[in-house]
Amino acid sequence: MDTLARVTSLSRRFGHYQALQGLALELRQGEVLGLLGPNGAGKTTCLRLLSGTLAPSAGRIEILGIDLARRPVAAKRHLGYLPERPPLFDELKVDEYLHHCARLRRIPTRARAAALTRAKGLCGLETVGRTLIAKLSKGYRQRLGLAQAILHEPRILILDEPTDGLDPVQIREVRTLIRDLARTSGIILSSHILSEVQAICDRVLVLHRGRMLFQDRFERTRPTQVWRVRLAPIMTRQALDQIHTLERLYCVEAAVALGEDRYRLLLTPPATSTDLARQALTAGLELRELTPEPHDLERVFFDLIGAGGMGSAR
Amino acid sequence: MIGVIARRDIHGALVTPLPWILFTGGQVVLSWIFLNVVDQFTGLGVEERSASLSLELTLNLFGFAAIVQMLAAPLLAMRMLSGEFRDGSFALTAAAPIGVGSILMGKFLALAVLLTPLALLPLFNLALLLGGAELDLGQIAAATFGLWLVALLFGAIGLYASSLTTQPGAAVLLAFALLLTLSVIGRVDALHDPTQTGLSLFGWLSWNEHLLWFLFGAVRASDLVYLMGLTGLFLALAHRRLANRFLQ
Repeated sequence: MDTLARVTSLSRRFGHYQALQGLALELRQGEVLGLLGPNGAGKTTCLRLLSGTLAPSAGRIEILGIDLARRPVAAKRHLGYLPERPPLFDELKVDEYLHHCARLRRIPTRARAAALTRAKGLCGLETVGRTLIAKLSKGYRQRLGLAQAILHEPRILILDEPTDGLDPVQIREVRTLIRDLARTSGIILSSHILSEVQAICDRVLVLHRGRMLFQDRFERTRPTQVWRVRLAPIMTRQALDQIHTLERLYCVEAAVALGEDRYRLLLTPPATSTDLARQALTAGLELRELTPEPHDLERVFFDLIGAGGMGSAR
Repeated sequence: MIGVIARRDIHGALVTPLPWILFTGGQVVLSWIFLNVVDQFTGLGVEERSASLSLELTLNLFGFAAIVQMLAAPLLAMRMLSGEFRDGSFALTAAAPIGVGSILMGKFLALAVLLTPLALLPLFNLALLLGGAELDLGQIAAATFGLWLVALLFGAIGLYASSLTTQPGAAVLLAFALLLTLSVIGRVDALHDPTQTGLSLFGWLSWNEHLLWFLFGAVRASDLVYLMGLTGLFLALAHRRLANRFLQ
């Protein structure tokens, strides 16, 4: 995969306040990178630095090999940026605004109409082209902000809380759109919603007080080795036998009781859920439920920022 | 790209009532002054006329038009930077592949286009007298040119004030304060030494001293240097503010 953006030792200070310190990251084509962190973690500062609207105190940002600080105009041609507050002009109509954005992004005159139609189609703005921006609802304003960011088909898309203010249906549409856009570009987005990052991103970067605490890649294709099972209820004194039976299964490496009839199991690679179901039935266990354990980003997040343990996260 | 920025700012201003109110209000007052001057001039006998009609008109009409410009420029400039900082729309321009110089020149061009009709208002009024009275066209052209240059200076000061704050109201007050200082600074010498008649440093810094020569019909190099130099200085200061904004 091609590296679209490379950030090294990026720091930003506002007076005495260190908003970001020593950040290093790489964004590749086809990748969605999520910046996760509580309020004030430095997510917006990081995205402003990447978009070239804020200069770093130290460090270097390269966009397709172009130094953003030295050649900002050349580097910004490849960027699309949706800030926290969509940058809209209330006195303009939606089409007028998008035409202005197309001119700003140097889209040739003959390609402008097609670019507008595409962006409006992707963001569901076909019916509001002649509406004054001041009269748009919050959801439509967010969508218009997204439309201006993708209008020129940038190689790198920087989105600051892209689903903020959208209803559940729109959130799902925007998530699908982001995954579609990631086929041809690299996307960096920020969010403080854990499930959102988990749903959209390939990789997550947890920020806290300006520092990168954790970086991990979500493996979408590899099956999980952690499963939850529910067995038929039994007498309490037999529960110990049940967990021992589970532990003795060939495919199970470890088992933890979660409740009276619920257990979390770690499978021995390369065992699958099919092996587990077959062996459990053979061992005489009455299997009621078998569900994969989700990637536990929430637990990692709370462990890192020290705002609660597993108990509070669940 | 300068044109792209200017185009949006002109369009954004024209869909609001402000430039139309300024233009209409300015015309109402100027037409009243125009009729007043013409009425007084025609009521005088030949021997009572101490100045020509052209001079009477340029001093009164263009002099007042400069005051209208002084009010209009900060009001039009406040939305161009300060208003955009406040509502977050400046991020669109800042993230676009365009340099700070082009952004500023685009804003300044838009302001110049919006202020030019106001600078031409006295000329439109004087056009009514064409064929009916003998006017010194050279003097009127010089006065119009001087008024336009003064409007550009006010625009540059308005843009600089607009770049200083995220509160458009504060930007307007700052611009008024700067413009008033440049208007009355020439009186400092008069307070110190009322008998002084020559042009001192403080007198030279005052914009109205320079406009006066244009109204007399004289286009002097020193006045051109003052107006264009000060315009350039405030644009350079605004450029510095915008460039620093990326560091803040």
